[in-house]
Amino acid sequence: MIHDALLILWDCSQATEMPPNRSSLIFEEEGDAEIYNRIWDVARSHHTIQNYVETFGFRSRKLQSASGLKTSGLYAQALSEGVTEVLQDYKKTLVEVESLIIGNHNYNLSFVYSYVGKFHGLFNTLNKIIVTIKERRLTGCQILSLTHQYILNGNEMVHEAVIKIFTCINKVFVNQLCTWLLYGELRDPYQEFFIYRNNKDDNISDTFLSSPSTNACDKSLVSTLQDTIIDCGYNLNPTMIPYFVPLSLAQEILFIGKTVILFGFDPRKVKRSSYFMNNRPIMPLQKCGADSRRFTIWEEKEAEFHDKLQKLKNPEVFEVCNLRSVVRDIKECVTKHLWTVAVEEAQLIHELRLMKDFYLLGRGELFLELLRLTAPMLDKPTTRTSTRDMNHAFQLAARAVFLSNSADIEKFSFELPYVKPNISANSSIEDDSSTVADGWSSIILKYDFKWPLHLLFTPEVLARYNDMFRLLLRIKKTQHDLHALWKTYKQSTSFSMCQLHNKLMFLMDHLQHYMQADVLETNFSRLMDAVNKTTDFEKLKKAHATFLADILGQSFLTVISSSDSECSGDTIDSINNPVFCNIMELIKLCHSFCSMGDLVTDKEAEDYYIRGYSDRFNKLVKQLMQLLVSVRERPCGVYLARLLMRLDYNRWLSGEAQLTQSVTNMLRY
Amino acid sequence: MPSEMITLQLGQCGNQIGFEFWKQLCIEHGISPEGILEEFASAGSDRKDVFFYQADDDHYIPRAVLLDLEPRVIHTIMNSPYAKLYNPENVYLSKHGGGAGNNWASGYAQGEKLNEEVFDIINREADGSDNLEGFVLCHSIAGGTGSGMGSYILEHLSDRFPKKLVQTYSVFPNLDEISDVVVQPYNSLLTLKRLTESADCVMVLDNTALNRIASDRLHIQNPSFAQINTLVSTIMSASTATLRYPSYMNNDLISLVAPLIPTPRLHFLMTGYTPLTADHELNTAPKIRKTTVLDVMQRLLQPKNMMVSLSPDRTNQHCYISILNIIQGEVDPSQVHKSLQRIRERKLASFIPWGPASIQVALSRRSPYVHASHKVSGLLLANHTNISSLFDRCLQQFDKLRKREAFLEVFRKEPMFKDSLEEFDESRSVVDDLVQEYQAAATPDYVHWNPESSQI
Repeated sequence: MIHDALLILWDCSQATEMPPNRSSLIFEEEGDAEIYNRIWDVARSHHTIQNYVETFGFRSRKLQSASGLKTSGLYAQALSEGVTEVLQDYKKTLVEVESLIIGNHNYNLSFVYSYVGKFHGLFNTLNKIIVTIKERRLTGCQILSLTHQYILNGNEMVHEAVIKIFTCINKVFVNQLCTWLLYGELRDPYQEFFIYRNNKDDNISDTFLSSPSTNACDKSLVSTLQDTIIDCGYNLNPTMIPYFVPLSLAQEILFIGKTVILFGFDPRKVKRSSYFMNNRPIMPLQKCGADSRRFTIWEEKEAEFHDKLQKLKNPEVFEVCNLRSVVRDIKECVTKHLWTVAVEEAQLIHELRLMKDFYLLGRGELFLELLRLTAPMLDKPTTRTSTRDMNHAFQLAARAVFLSNSADIEKFSFELPYVKPNISANSSIEDDSSTVADGWSSIILKYDFKWPLHLLFTPEVLARYNDMFRLLLRIKKTQHDLHALWKTYKQSTSFSMCQLHNKLMFLMDHLQHYMQADVLETNFSRLMDAVNKTTDFEKLKKAHATFLADILGQSFLTVISSSDSECSGDTIDSINNPVFCNIMELIKLCHSFCSMGDLVTDKEAEDYYIRGYSDRFNKLVKQLMQLLVSVRERPCGVYLARLLMRLDYNRWLSGEAQLTQSVTNMLRY
Repeated sequence: MPSEMITLQLGQCGNQIGFEFWKQLCIEHGISPEGILEEFASAGSDRKDVFFYQADDDHYIPRAVLLDLEPRVIHTIMNSPYAKLYNPENVYLSKHGGGAGNNWASGYAQGEKLNEEVFDIINREADGSDNLEGFVLCHSIAGGTGSGMGSYILEHLSDRFPKKLVQTYSVFPNLDEISDVVVQPYNSLLTLKRLTESADCVMVLDNTALNRIASDRLHIQNPSFAQINTLVSTIMSASTATLRYPSYMNNDLISLVAPLIPTPRLHFLMTGYTPLTADHELNTAPKIRKTTVLDVMQRLLQPKNMMVSLSPDRTNQHCYISILNIIQGEVDPSQVHKSLQRIRERKLASFIPWGPASIQVALSRRSPYVHASHKVSGLLLANHTNISSLFDRCLQQFDKLRKREAFLEVFRKEPMFKDSLEEFDESRSVVDDLVQEYQAAATPDYVHWNPESSQI
């Protein structure tokens, strides 16, 4: 009897498979049956645990990975190893009992039970863990997380055992964390870490003309603009994050690794690998030459951080706050390095000023000259040679304003995407201006920035800058055209003509003034303040994203709602902000007005046109004021009010528009 | 080199203010009196090419033409450290050197006689520029050369360069003191006609107001010409700041001028500048004052800072047609909107009732090479209907003389007035129309105003 018990406890008998058959067993004493049942319980728990250990142990993992299956993993293996270790105690106890029984045949079942009974609680806990893992199909960090939950246990033995197991699993975790944090490597063949690499590279779009983001509010625009493609496809797997790691900490960990990878891609270090330029952001790290992995970020700190991380393997040390402090230390080091590289070596502040000078037309005189040279070309649909002509003109303009020898000019170039006009049978006579984009709506200013500023100037960011650029260029062009007519109309005798010209000019001038002072300069000085205050690259990035989002929002270039916008491909049309549409209509009106001279021959026709244009002007201005009512609650309402304050400074426009009382009240800005 | 400007300096006064202007530009751009770019200024991102060009030996040479009928002022310039700055070919002195005798008619006649030579210089200078935008004429309207010869050149500039802008800095005589030029009212009126008809934009520099500002604001008892001219050069340099320091907008003269002048004839602009500091005050007790955008913009609207003396507007009927503020210095751009709003709420400026009007605020950089005693400084360019009171005073003075038929014989000597004095009457009616038009512009009925109806 007692041998039966020992056998099942050793897990050597098939008896554990089935519940004890009372009839087949002869019990020496009364109550032995009950004790045997208890022993059997312990043995059965042990059996289940043993089974688990065997299925997920090292050997089986090897076997499985050889056969291509990926059900188990390093964490499961660590778990089983930990469990095996814990079971050593149990086995030792069994050996002890066995030797005692062999020495003295008088020992009975309860004697055996007195030894093994204490394992009951432990085995129950272990089984609970195992069952939960099986039921929920937990893998990787989830196992770590689960084990961590069982650490706190009143039973001293269970507590210590779980800590042992946890330590085993934690080793795996810390090792993975360590390689990720320090070398940006993901040693994770079973996808168990909470950071994963998606191999899809669809998020890399190299078109600068991407349609405006469909984000509803500015907040998310800021975050889209912050999104960068240093990811190299790495991302957080939220289900895998251990419960004791807050999301923010996980993000910091992700960021550090990504940044480390980024430094690995430093073009100055991997110049020799020629294939680098072709597939820059997605190239797997492993392909990089060994030289490039000699990171200089850590300098002498590498050992220090490594030690700190290794210390985390000790469960006594492994507390969230400790983990956090180590991560913070490392992050500080990384961001400092990033700051040095981006802000000091790549002269980020200077580059930001360049963005303002070029994308935001800060160098007005250069663009004025450029407009003089290229306006006729941009009026027409783009041709194959447009890009070349445009760049040539850009060089000429730069030379004219004595900027040509500045190295900064070299960084900018234009592109006019040539779209082959699809000539269908019926479109030959109809106006093709609506179908074929002219230069104004398709022109792209390209910017060749220094590594690693693509952290800041992502394709998305540059696309938004280009939106701004096109709007500002259009306004400048319109203003320039209107000014050019001034001398002509000065000699004109028609007062209504003069007056209409004045109104249009007034509108464009003040739109320009609004853009300059209220939008661009105000926000740019805010950005510079923020930049000067911080030495944290992340904060800088955020400040820049906020800057861009603000100027877009205040120039009415943001999309108001995404639901009803039809992606028509034409960028300008797909910006459905009603204020922007209205401004574009006004610009179009100015254009027709400027080209009127070519159409009109006699006085009568002139009067007719002027009346038409004046009506249209009044209608559009009225509409603009009424829009204030509908957008008042939105963020851009404030800015529309600002614009209108400038336009309606002497309350003439509002008086002329004869608005209703309620709208006039609202116009108090 | 787009948007170049050629400066024409005429007569004693024109050459003096021109001289101060170039001095100021040289200091602001870091150019030495010999035209050599100073070491410290080599990395500047300012645009020197609007007003200067570079000679073969890299010297900066002003696009300036200096004209006079008598040698005194030009000789002073040529004996100053700045003598080598100018292109000697552009300095024209009439050979006899007798001057115009403070006689408009004489100046005009000599202008006609010398027109070939003068326009040769101007044409050559115009050919030397890539994309000439226009001319700046500096002169006084009271004397002989500046007013008479200036009038002739004005009339012919618009014929020869119909597409170029003509801006003048015209100095109006001091009416508070008795002038030694007795025919000054005649000269002024005759010049005013040309300024009305041939110039695109006239910056009115009123000596009366300049003297008042020098004594009241700068506490100089008897302001000298040089001190007054410093005021003028401050205004001239500030009003061209947006051309010389590239920024988003106002990169060419037309973009400064066009929004200010909505109707063709109402092109007389007043200026104001704040804060002003005189050199002697700077050294003794510099008054430290906090300058903000709002502060500067409010001060600019005060009549006492205006460089034109207007008769008080008792009926309060006059108003601004347009305003442009050029704000320089360390500006917090977000203040601009707040200041505009404040001025609007407090109704510190009244505007025309017949069209849209507003205060434009252009932010501009300041020269890094000039020490500024104030954080923010501002220039006001305004088109105000009350400027008609200045012309009205000219008319009154003219009428006083004309009634007595005084001093007409000096004019009769010249061919233009030999047969008749019609020119006087014609000029008078032009200036009178101008006054009427300015007055009409203060009313909503201006939309229906036309000069013919007012004459009837």
